[in-house]
Amino acid sequence: MRVLIVEDEKGLAAEIKEFLVKEEFNCDLALTGKEASDLIAINPYDFILLDIGLPDYNGLDLIKEAKRSNSEAYFIVITARGELEDKIKGFDLGADDYLAKPFSLLELLSRIQAITRRKFGHQSSIIQFGNFALDTIKKHLEFDNKAIDLTKKEYKLLSYLVLNKNRVLDRLQLTEHIWGEFYEDDYDSNYIDVHIKNIRKKLSEFDETNWIKTVRGIGYKFEIE
Amino acid sequence: MMNLPKLKFKSKLALFNALSKIIIVTALLFIVPWIVGEITIRDTDDLLIRKLDQVIELVDSLGIDEYINMDAEIKAFGSYNILKEEFIAIEQLDKDTSIDVIEYSQRIIDNELVEYRVLSYSIVKNGNSYLIEIGRSITTINRFEQNLKRFAFLFLLLIILITFIADVSFIQYLLNPFEQIVKKLKNTNHPSSFDYTTVNTKTHDFAYLDETIQGLMHKIEDAFNNEREYISNVSHELLTPISIIQSKLDNILSDKTIPDTDLLKIMDSKHTLGRLTKMVRTLLMMSRIENEEYLLTEKVNLNTIVNNVAEEIEDKIEAKELELKISLNNSIQAINGNENLLFILIYNLINNAIRYTQKGYIKIETALVNQRVVLIVSDTGIGILPENLPHIFSRFRNFSNQKDSFGLGLALAKKICDYHKIEIEVTSKIDQGTAFTLTFKK
Repeated sequence: MRVLIVEDEKGLAAEIKEFLVKEEFNCDLALTGKEASDLIAINPYDFILLDIGLPDYNGLDLIKEAKRSNSEAYFIVITARGELEDKIKGFDLGADDYLAKPFSLLELLSRIQAITRRKFGHQSSIIQFGNFALDTIKKHLEFDNKAIDLTKKEYKLLSYLVLNKNRVLDRLQLTEHIWGEFYEDDYDSNYIDVHIKNIRKKLSEFDETNWIKTVRGIGYKFEIE
Repeated sequence: MMNLPKLKFKSKLALFNALSKIIIVTALLFIVPWIVGEITIRDTDDLLIRKLDQVIELVDSLGIDEYINMDAEIKAFGSYNILKEEFIAIEQLDKDTSIDVIEYSQRIIDNELVEYRVLSYSIVKNGNSYLIEIGRSITTINRFEQNLKRFAFLFLLLIILITFIADVSFIQYLLNPFEQIVKKLKNTNHPSSFDYTTVNTKTHDFAYLDETIQGLMHKIEDAFNNEREYISNVSHELLTPISIIQSKLDNILSDKTIPDTDLLKIMDSKHTLGRLTKMVRTLLMMSRIENEEYLLTEKVNLNTIVNNVAEEIEDKIEAKELELKISLNNSIQAINGNENLLFILIYNLINNAIRYTQKGYIKIETALVNQRVVLIVSDTGIGILPENLPHIFSRFRNFSNQKDSFGLGLALAKKICDYHKIEIEVTSKIDQGTAFTLTFKK
């Protein structure tokens, strides 16, 4: 998968690239709108990560340009503003998702994966573990075709762990994924533990396997061979 | 110093005017009768002199014999009208003396003692001296004087009334621009909402005052905008470096060779960075509200928001083993506002209630009070000390030892309320609980 990162902040661009390369993406970097415009014109990309606040270029113009030469590409718009209006404009112009700074790289990856799943359709939408089946389209969990009742948050949490299987997810990454940009006053990620406890209880009714491992002091890991 | 009640400027001026007029009137009350008296006497005397002239003319043309019979024993003539208001008398004088006086004197006419103002004048005719006396009764003079006095007082009263009314309306007219300036200031609850149209006045002082206030308001507005922009810019600029640090930490964490002790330290840093992020985002949101960047045109159903918040916050209630009581009035009408902001408002209030409640329940009610939509969030928590109540909406005020809160939740809630023109009230009793009441505008 070929990704173009358009980000004027060198430090951030480098970190995103490092992370995505590790995840086996083929990455190009554009630090200015001009560079991006040139790269878009000659290369076919699967994903374009675009910081809308470029100093030399109107980010929204760049989307228009890319839609012409790279009509297959998916856009994730990165914004430091998080402004509602930009959000709407971005979606209107065909941005597939948006991320407000600061975001965790894992969250970025999960957005890319979500778009990919949408792109490749149903065959990859069901993830199996043991006799469980997680349907990422219908957003529900089954055990031997028997539906398991999960709350919205429990589903979100479980699917995030499953999709990032064998990777340690820290509490903050999980909190960010579930609560997003909540403007709550406190920053208490311990509620994650409550949800994990509930999910484990529900899974253990069907299966003895301890799918979700606790990583002390950090978070959780979904283990599967 | 005596504590006088504070009066309006125009009332004071009117009062002063009235007082000065009363003083003048009192003075006139003493002076007018005297003047009127003087005028009447002079008038009467003039009348008497004129009559004397007529009598002398008559005597000259007709001869003294016409009036006085030389053969009679009493050489005198008298004439008076039946009401005894006036009399004219001519008599021969024995001695040759010259008399010319006007004085008060009493006469007996028809056995009645009558007081007269009498003009006595001597003339010489045919070698004899005669005394002419013309009198006018005091009663008549007094009646005339009374009439004059009455008229004078009426006139005085009328003048006072007219000038008083004129004074008051002129003061009102003069002070009108001043009142307009005060009204303009009173209607200004935000520097940007100040009405910069010049007040129409021909009074230099008020024009000057208006100009000075406008200058001041411009300065305040500039300072205000600068601060607003400053917060917005700082928050915005902070998000990019935070983003870089967070990405770096994420990349470090994905390295599986890192020892556990280092992992925990990195987690700690991430946690701190997370707090910083929330803080900056909240500040940014507050400054965006101040910049009026959110539209208030959505039709929002408050009950739906309450239910959404309740669903969102369920896990926190569960984790603290509290009860969430919801009592919704289904007849409340939709509100104009920003759904996202209202969600955050209610979320923050409930979140705050949960944080300070260890046992019992959190209650959310919607109701109609005087045709206005009211939302109440109450709890059975620790309560707020009375001395802290006025400060709970201030930024970075935190009255508990809770480490994971930075005191922006209620400040943001207040901002959202102000932006929506929602009245927010707090009542609290220590160890019994706190209630936030939101009253929405009609």
